[in-house]
Amino acid sequence: MRIVVVDPDACVACRDCEYACAFQQSGDFARRDSCIRVNFYAAERACVPLTCLHCAEAWCLEVCPAAAIGRDPGTGAVTIDTRRCAGCKMCLLACPYGNIHFDEQAGVSRKCDLCGGDPACVRFCTSGALVFMEADEAAERRRATLDARLRRALRLDKDEE
Amino acid sequence: MPEREIQRTLCRMCDDRCGIEVHLEDGRIVDITGNKEHLWNRGRLCVKARAAVDMVYHPERILAPLKRTADGWQQISLAQALDEIAARLAEVRERHGARSISVWKGEAIGFGQQENIARRFVHAIGSPNYLSNDSMCYAARYFGFKLVDGAWPVPDLANSRCIVLWGANPPYAHPNMTQYITEARRAGATLVVVDPRLSAIARRADLHARCLPGTDAALAWGIIHELIELDAVDHSFVERFAVGYAQVAEYARSFTPQRAEAETGVPAATVREIARAMANAAPRVGTYVGNGLEHHENGVNSIRAVAIMDGLLGTIDQTGGACFKCPPPLQDLTLYDELPLTELGPLGAARFPVLYELRQECHTMTAIDAILEDKPYPLRAMIVTGANPALTNPNTAKVRRALEALDLLVVRDLFMSETAALADYVLPAASFLERTELHAHAKHEILSLTRRVVSWPDVQGEYDFWRDLGRRLGAGEYFPWPDESALNRWLLDGSGLTLEELEAHPEGVPYGHACAVDWRTDGFSTPSGKLELASAYLKGLGYDELPVYRRPAYREAADPAYPFVLVTGARKLLYLHSRFRNIARFRTAIPGPEVEMHPDDAAELGVRDGDVVTVTSPVGSVDIPVAVVAPNEILPGSLQITHGWKEANVNLITHDDRFDPVSGFPLMKSLAVRVERRARDVDLADDASPA
Repeated sequence: MRIVVVDPDACVACRDCEYACAFQQSGDFARRDSCIRVNFYAAERACVPLTCLHCAEAWCLEVCPAAAIGRDPGTGAVTIDTRRCAGCKMCLLACPYGNIHFDEQAGVSRKCDLCGGDPACVRFCTSGALVFMEADEAAERRRATLDARLRRALRLDKDEE
Repeated sequence: MPEREIQRTLCRMCDDRCGIEVHLEDGRIVDITGNKEHLWNRGRLCVKARAAVDMVYHPERILAPLKRTADGWQQISLAQALDEIAARLAEVRERHGARSISVWKGEAIGFGQQENIARRFVHAIGSPNYLSNDSMCYAARYFGFKLVDGAWPVPDLANSRCIVLWGANPPYAHPNMTQYITEARRAGATLVVVDPRLSAIARRADLHARCLPGTDAALAWGIIHELIELDAVDHSFVERFAVGYAQVAEYARSFTPQRAEAETGVPAATVREIARAMANAAPRVGTYVGNGLEHHENGVNSIRAVAIMDGLLGTIDQTGGACFKCPPPLQDLTLYDELPLTELGPLGAARFPVLYELRQECHTMTAIDAILEDKPYPLRAMIVTGANPALTNPNTAKVRRALEALDLLVVRDLFMSETAALADYVLPAASFLERTELHAHAKHEILSLTRRVVSWPDVQGEYDFWRDLGRRLGAGEYFPWPDESALNRWLLDGSGLTLEELEAHPEGVPYGHACAVDWRTDGFSTPSGKLELASAYLKGLGYDELPVYRRPAYREAADPAYPFVLVTGARKLLYLHSRFRNIARFRTAIPGPEVEMHPDDAAELGVRDGDVVTVTSPVGSVDIPVAVVAPNEILPGSLQITHGWKEANVNLITHDDRFDPVSGFPLMKSLAVRVERRARDVDLADDASPA
């Protein structure tokens, strides 16, 4: 299945994705409403975008006592049926990545649903750090990026091309 | 469910002009998404684009002409407004001469044909005084490159092996440029960012040169010194195609990395590393200069010093280097050939000849003085379109006084801006989704046609407005086209492209084949036909022949009364200059103005995040809350305030009388200021402390 692949090495923490997701969820730009979270750590100059990976063995789905969490047959996304959600927050505890948050106002859990197959966070990512792609393609791309860097570092003759 | 229709056009929330798809239901815009076929943004957008829906249907939008009366604003018909404005302009022309009338075109309206139609109008009625945002944005960078290369080349960033960004923060200023940088970095490119602040793009920099504001030329010369030491100069290119190398080598000799460090604060080791990264990547070095280098006393020299490195490294027209692009093959709307009007003394042309000779720009700050002092002659009427100088020009208290002193001020805008609020007439302007016009993307050499997706009865596009006013003032012969489409058709005459073709291809149509000039055979578009590392043209005007370094005033003659250096105008993702502050969810994300401050300075001043301080320059004072940033996000002793906030307008304290001598750009990014805790806060703090 396709997931939102995040590349911290390309992220500039502009928060375009957070705004786009929050808007999708609530119509506003409040960070608390966003299902994708970008943290910036100035001292390390580290940008960390993080969103649901839609685990094959999804602990949130397994732990939900109300059976409110299921899998979208079309996209493979792990989604919450908020009509069934009892607000117990077990899923928040179960997710090892903190990718589920609690909507205090509605009293339900919220998470990424891949916007039905065309995620807004990716459409509004201007650096290209977010890509909607197959997980194994992502690994391939990561290898290619590393290879490019190594190739440059190892090259002895700069006029080779 | 209503049927959904999709219209493909370009976004103009900023000048990136990304390809968009506008979704309509029953003729009403309901969503905006990216056009994946557009070469520039490839379907990606920043969140400003979607907000165009809110802008178009904003409840505060002005949709009918307004006239100032003793009882406040009175709504009048469009015909009455145009008749009265024309009559009053004719009166001013009768009494003070045509040159006492001016047009001021803003960033919000765009460039290209909308700029040229405004130029055409003002010349057609007999005045040389075309004013615009370009007398403090863009033009200085254009000069920096034009004077060296004969044009501003476009860097082929995606294919660069080393990218050097000078005072530019693409994620916030040109969002989709970031994609190209990411592409290059994924292929192993080194990213160098020169910026006193840790900008969004600097977060990804391999080398971040935290250069003191206004000292960029010293850093550039330090790098040039090292490039020469490393023997990275492309001598065969320089000998054949450039002039001035001997002078450059001579001047660079004393600019050791140690001297560069002393001037800029950038460690000598970093200067060497930058030079080595550029030398190793040459000729695949992509350089982009942002607005950060413009607003200084030595701005054009700094930009030229950066520009000459492309020549030294021979990156011109190389893959990943500085590439010349053809201008779009359009007819020229301006009348400079027919009606030069230079004998009428365009405002600022005498003091800033380069600004006028190379861009036909009058100088807005000179115009403000002319209004207030009647010197060199009276300026009594102004038509402003899509500009908000009452917030964005330097020394805005004076700008406001001047605008209020005019006999006639007409403002075209979507909203009651700070400038519109001073007007005699406010006319409703058309947003970019209500106009059809031609746009060129120089990087990809494509031409696109935008479309009128929605319209309102009394809201005119730019062409219709200038045509109707021109006809009323006896200049109808210059506006023969019945509407925008007829004008667009005329602009395309002789281009080999048709309106129908452009309508069928909203992603743009390539025009590159129409370009036949090659510098290898035809020479560069400079006076010598060579790449000018030194400029005899500038020397002839009494300026520096070489792009020399001059120490900024705040360092050369430091005044203990103003110990901080203030940078203004750093971009924020959600706002563009003074625009979009009325989009509610933008305010949720970025609620208000702030002065960015180093934690050591905050500690010394005894202020915390959110405390209000008074920032004072010789021009004035502004009260503004503090944002204490991380120690590596700003240099100690320096501050940053983004412009465009009426709640704390930084242009109350910027200089309108200290300029770069070549471009005439005002000093806005290296101002000496002082900072004080606001007295009232000190009292409150004392009251709150336990007795």
